[in-house]
Amino acid sequence: MFLGRVVGEVWATRKAADLSGLRLLVVEALDERREPGAKKVTPVVAADPLGADVGEHVIVAFGKAARVATLGADGDFAFEAAIVGIVDDFDVPGAPEDWRMEDVTAWREARGGTSPESRVEGPAKPDAGRPRDRLT
Amino acid sequence: MMVGTVVGHVWATKKDPTLVGLRFLVVQPFTLEGSTAETIVAADPIGAGIGERVLVVFGRAARHVIGRGQDIGFQTAVSAIIDKMELEGGRTIGPTAGEDS
Repeated sequence: MFLGRVVGEVWATRKAADLSGLRLLVVEALDERREPGAKKVTPVVAADPLGADVGEHVIVAFGKAARVATLGADGDFAFEAAIVGIVDDFDVPGAPEDWRMEDVTAWREARGGTSPESRVEGPAKPDAGRPRDRLT
Repeated sequence: MMVGTVVGHVWATKKDPTLVGLRFLVVQPFTLEGSTAETIVAADPIGAGIGERVLVVFGRAARHVIGRGQDIGFQTAVSAIIDKMELEGGRTIGPTAGEDS
């Protein structure tokens, strides 16, 4: 599993039958940017059962976890990566500047989605009121 | 899964018997910066050609796409031929490198 940012979407007509109807997003892992000049990694294409958008931070899982999260059960399916969470916020002290999340609250609400606040299911964050553009 | 460009074919006569009759491609993974990444070999049950952009899957998904059950000696396969990939900033990746914008 990794933390990434959605950077695009992929379409294909000629494909394995069970990819039909699956939304496929291109996700760039965040830690590849940790060191300037670090070896570049190819972005991962992940099934998206949650409706993430370009620019959002997401959690990507692989293998059985990806299939269960997408289709509710494991089985013989033609994908092995999926978005299993849309990140509301994170706190990684020392993370590079380009990890910063865009403030996507406005367009999440504009397209009828939930605001980050209403998605919170766990205990409230102790520092929930801090500015979103600060990483540390 | 990852996107890559087909850059070649591979043939092998001496191989695991579960692989007889499979078509093998050399695929160059796509990177956002356009830099080259290490190529991989993928089985191709779909019929992609050199220069085409493809979606590559791994592990159980790859063996499923190959269609010979899970007990075969391979773990990478082409599962789709890409029509279009839209990236942030209005960048569009086409079915081949010549059709990018």
